[in-house]
Amino acid sequence: MMVMGRVKMCNDIKTESPLAYFHDTASRNSSVSTDKNASLGADSRVVAREQYICSHLNLRGDAQDPVFVEGISKILGMSLPIKPGHYHCVIGENSLMKQSLYWLGPDEWLLISRQLAEGLCTNLRETLDAHISITDVSGGQTLVNLSGDNEAIQIVLKKSSVYDFGVWESASESGGRCAQTTFGKTSALVSNKSNGSYDLLVRRSFADYFALWLLDAGREFGISILGPHPE
Amino acid sequence: MIPTHRAQINRITADARIDTSRAINFFFNGKRYQGYLGDTLASALLANGVNVVGRSFKYSRPRGIVSHGAEEPNAIVQINTGKLTIPNLKATQVELYEGLKANSVNGWPNVEFDLMSIFGWFRRMMPPGFYYKTFMSPAKFWMVYERFIRKAAGLGRSPMQFDPDSYDKLNQHTDILVVGAGPSGMLAAREAARTGARVIIVDEQNEFGGSLLASTQTIDGIKASSWVKNLMAELTKNKNVLMLPRSTAFGFYDHNFVAVIERRTDHLGDSASGLCRERIHRVRAKQVILATGALERPLVFAHNDIPGVMLASSVSNYLIRYGVAPGNRLLLFTTNDNAYQTAIDWYQSGREVVAIVDSRRNLSGAMYEAARKLGIEVKSGHAVIEAEGGKRVCSARVASLSRQGNKIDGLVEKLDCDLIACSGGWSPTIHLSSHTGSKPVWNESISGFVSGSSREDLLLVGACNGEYSLTGCLANGAEIGCRAAESIGYQISAIETPRFQVDELEELPQQTIFLVPHDKGISRAPSSFVDMQLDVTADSIEIAVREGFESIEHIKRYTALGFGTDQGKLSNVNGIGILAQMLGKSISEIGTTVFRPAYTPTTFGAIAGRDVGALFDPERLTAIHRWHEENGAKFEDVGQWKRPWFYPRASESMEEAVHRECIAVRNGVGILDASTLGKIDIKGPDAAEFLSRVYTNSFLTLARGKCRYGVMLKEDGMIFDDGVCACLGPNHYLMFTTTGGAAQVLAWLELWRQTEWPELRVYCTSVTDHWGTVTLSGPDSRRVLEAVCAGIDLDNDSFPFMEWRDAIIAGVDARIFRISFTGELSFEINMPAHHARHIWEALMDSGEPYDITPYGTETMHVLRAEKGFMIVGQDTDGSMTPYDMGLGWVVNKSKEFSFLGKRSLDRSHMLRKDRKQFIGLKTIEGSKMLPEGGQLIFDPEEQIPMSMQGHVTSSYYSPSFGHPIALGVIKGGFSRMGQIVYCPQPNGEIISAEIVNSVFYDGDGARQNV
Amino acid sequence: MLLVYCPYCEEAREEEEFTYGGEAHIKRPLSPHTLTDEEWGDYLYFRKNPRGLHHEMWFHNAGCRRYFCATRDTVTYKILETYKIGGPPKSPSIPAGADG
Repeated sequence: MMVMGRVKMCNDIKTESPLAYFHDTASRNSSVSTDKNASLGADSRVVAREQYICSHLNLRGDAQDPVFVEGISKILGMSLPIKPGHYHCVIGENSLMKQSLYWLGPDEWLLISRQLAEGLCTNLRETLDAHISITDVSGGQTLVNLSGDNEAIQIVLKKSSVYDFGVWESASESGGRCAQTTFGKTSALVSNKSNGSYDLLVRRSFADYFALWLLDAGREFGISILGPHPE
Repeated sequence: MIPTHRAQINRITADARIDTSRAINFFFNGKRYQGYLGDTLASALLANGVNVVGRSFKYSRPRGIVSHGAEEPNAIVQINTGKLTIPNLKATQVELYEGLKANSVNGWPNVEFDLMSIFGWFRRMMPPGFYYKTFMSPAKFWMVYERFIRKAAGLGRSPMQFDPDSYDKLNQHTDILVVGAGPSGMLAAREAARTGARVIIVDEQNEFGGSLLASTQTIDGIKASSWVKNLMAELTKNKNVLMLPRSTAFGFYDHNFVAVIERRTDHLGDSASGLCRERIHRVRAKQVILATGALERPLVFAHNDIPGVMLASSVSNYLIRYGVAPGNRLLLFTTNDNAYQTAIDWYQSGREVVAIVDSRRNLSGAMYEAARKLGIEVKSGHAVIEAEGGKRVCSARVASLSRQGNKIDGLVEKLDCDLIACSGGWSPTIHLSSHTGSKPVWNESISGFVSGSSREDLLLVGACNGEYSLTGCLANGAEIGCRAAESIGYQISAIETPRFQVDELEELPQQTIFLVPHDKGISRAPSSFVDMQLDVTADSIEIAVREGFESIEHIKRYTALGFGTDQGKLSNVNGIGILAQMLGKSISEIGTTVFRPAYTPTTFGAIAGRDVGALFDPERLTAIHRWHEENGAKFEDVGQWKRPWFYPRASESMEEAVHRECIAVRNGVGILDASTLGKIDIKGPDAAEFLSRVYTNSFLTLARGKCRYGVMLKEDGMIFDDGVCACLGPNHYLMFTTTGGAAQVLAWLELWRQTEWPELRVYCTSVTDHWGTVTLSGPDSRRVLEAVCAGIDLDNDSFPFMEWRDAIIAGVDARIFRISFTGELSFEINMPAHHARHIWEALMDSGEPYDITPYGTETMHVLRAEKGFMIVGQDTDGSMTPYDMGLGWVVNKSKEFSFLGKRSLDRSHMLRKDRKQFIGLKTIEGSKMLPEGGQLIFDPEEQIPMSMQGHVTSSYYSPSFGHPIALGVIKGGFSRMGQIVYCPQPNGEIISAEIVNSVFYDGDGARQNV
Repeated sequence: MLLVYCPYCEEAREEEEFTYGGEAHIKRPLSPHTLTDEEWGDYLYFRKNPRGLHHEMWFHNAGCRRYFCATRDTVTYKILETYKIGGPPKSPSIPAGADG
């Protein structure tokens, strides 16, 4: 696999993440315009980094059904977050997130995993003999990590979302809090991480609006949008 | 360089809160002055001895600064010029910065010599309702009158250019919001924060401290200003406390939602470029503590508007806070003890106190004694009945008052003075609590309105709750701060509430006087101004009463009392009092007008925030959007989506490009980005049953691999969305919706799934964003696809129309649907969106030999119109049933469960023969285009208003036929084939058209079936 | 701007996250075809609009995407309770909270 600019080529198959065209974009406090390829990160108090294209699976099932609940924990090696507004996760090697499972609603969860979606889907479907739904939504959304100085992050979040993130307890290595809420005039799934950063999950078709909003909201902190860390 | 106009003749640099080492140059009405850091524009103007700061609204009388805060009615200025100009600021709230340019908003040619003041000489010719009465008829002349009235009136000029400043909003959540950082507010914040509660405290001024900033008192033996400093230090250290100076809580909305505007850069002048100018804090608080203080009430006497008549507390404020003595010889006119402090402050500044004129008789008490001890003359039972002077007070006419204060009962004497400080008592600032719908209640003992009960969780503390003593405010603040925290679950410590030692003299009851009598009757006496900003006089209220007005709401609208940008902060209570007196009623019987947001004017920029320009409304883009941009597409808005509209080549016009694209699809192959179509994944054992209930046709028999067109109705039987639905596997379906309808359809499905049919085992998940969708259409499309597609046979026998197959296209897993919106052989390809551009480009490559042509929504619309395919929302309007649209074949009434909308299709109105029905239209004069939306009539000779029989819903030039075609709905259309209808145009022309079948092209559908 | 407690998210959330869903507890007739046009019309078009307590549906559009019910006073805008679909309201539907 080789990385060519914003486009990832694999066996000559072009793969574009939703924010591909915004990687390496910064907004400067002093200038009103957005500089592409300006010196990045140096004076940024906030950095937004798009994460790798991962498998995103929407899971539906009955939280009261032991076949579903126990099956999930057996297959994924982590328990289903039943408590509203919580997520569970497993950290793999290199302290990279291996998989996380977010509560979206009383019968709805989101699994983000570095395993291939197809295998994961088949495995879950075949193992869980219950009325469930597993839907691959990998192409439709992207995860962006917002890190940096906490005060600045809080202001960016307050500008963007009507949710009160101030009431959240800190996240741990095995999970934390999450909320689907507004983000500018679109919506996002926001979650906190044990290192003090936040993950934002946004829909692909709103990714450009999201990026423009974020560059604007973070301008006073010299925000940069970056692509995934090289593996 | 313009020379500095005047020295700061009124500056006494005592122990004030200004920095006299930092001189600041500014301009007022074109003249250059100097002030100091910490000054407001008002204090600097007073320091420079500027008497006249504006002209009054109606009579153009010269006006001076009256107050020191948000209540100021006269000193209204416009600052800056060009695109940065800001109208209607109060000079009392404008902080001075280097190079500030301010101008009075009224006055022509200038405030010193105003030609319009001629109106003032004819005051009696401009009674209340003057405009209503004078310009009433003839009605058509109003437009002419209005131009002159606007020129004569008006406050400030709005900027005519795009605002270059930026504004934003923060969503704040807090346990306790304290509005007002005076002594009670600051203590409430401290006590609440000590419990661990999250606290936000806001104050409209640049510094916290409120009344203490102009106080000579001591608290616990420390000077008031040092006490404030210590408290500030404690609040600053507490991480739970957010302190926002220069921040006005301007609106109190439902469920303890308070809007606060923070002015971040105005005081910095040019040095602030690039920073966000204003920020609205949208504060949601569990408890709101209002510590907004009180406003001093002016006294209404003859010519009380001459520059040099000020509020007593404002005189003290300028003296102590800003080191400015706005005059030399002070006459204090009061109805209460509190204002004595102003005379004492003035005396201590070393200037002359001519006398204290007190309306009350038999004076005694500590304040009285304190003034007497300083040798100040106190005239008890007296009133200032008239101020004298032109552009500045030079003397006052003082007379002895009757016991009730409503008559003169002695000789009038004249006292020379150049400053009259007056105080008629105080009015608690209860605007914010009024925003919540709480009705103000008249409190006789403080002679002011206090807040009535509110539906919101709010507490009032200190002066805004009628507590005027500093000792009381401090104790009250501490107690309420604890109580507020406790009420939302915080533990308060057992330590007893703090007590404070304040050097404060006891005050005796005040007298209530709303209108000071004159030796002439009200209509013959010189004007006594109630509302200075809008020139409402006491006698105009009397005239209104004589003309039969009684309700304060009507008086307000008739006289304009309280209608100014100050919302009558100084005038309302006096106006109500005067009205009560004239009607012989009590204040409670009169009641108040309603205070509404905003407390002080708020900029449009701040209200818009970041929702401007590209961020005004989200633009949704497909995964192939960049390719369209790079290849010159023009875009069309479809909902929030940007869709390629057409792809002009070189110098092509839109018509030429669409023509070329249409022909390419009909004769060769075209490619369309259809990713915006809504897609909903539906799974579960009852999925087929669920679909059969929401679509008009049945899905129980749809086998895996097949697709079916469906129409959805609302319960009223009207079409609200349509699209294809495919069976992906056992209990698994993929529903396509229209681009614009996707969100509503999903919400609709969830509504029924969650609320009405929870027994159905089915889940619906949006996959709109997951799948990119590329449509190949045209006779060559199969050949283009074959070149890059592996794994399946594409011939018509193996893969017929209205079926789908899994396939690998250009190395990527994809799904191909044989469905068509153009009437040609078509393949609609779905792939995970991050591969969408990859597949699009692969198809462009494999299509090169066939001159594959990207086409946009305009071509798509033309082609589907040729086929007579409706577009929901364009050809339907929420009043069309499937039968009206000729879609009876898609309605299956024999289904066991009644589908949504079925019953409505049998309502008597639905069975009428003259319902509007969907038909094609062909103009008689071949080249004429019918305009979309054009009304259709049967009889062109009919008298206007004609009876409208239908309208044109879609109209295009059809390249396939070489003439225009149109679709429309018309009463009884299905039985009118071949008849002529008429479409009258605004220019008088009448276009005639023949009613034809809505399917113009390939009526038996052979071309899509190959 | 209302603050609405979502019984599924178990949190009070801002009004922006929700859309209003109209009157609650309207029973869809099980056999629509046994109804007269007038009875069907009543079901389709007639709603209560009381001055006082109102049982209504809300949709947590930007959150958990669940419908739920709320009892709201249409005079004061106070929300007395929110409850899950299927659950009965604790508060009566007679106007009670109206304060004038």
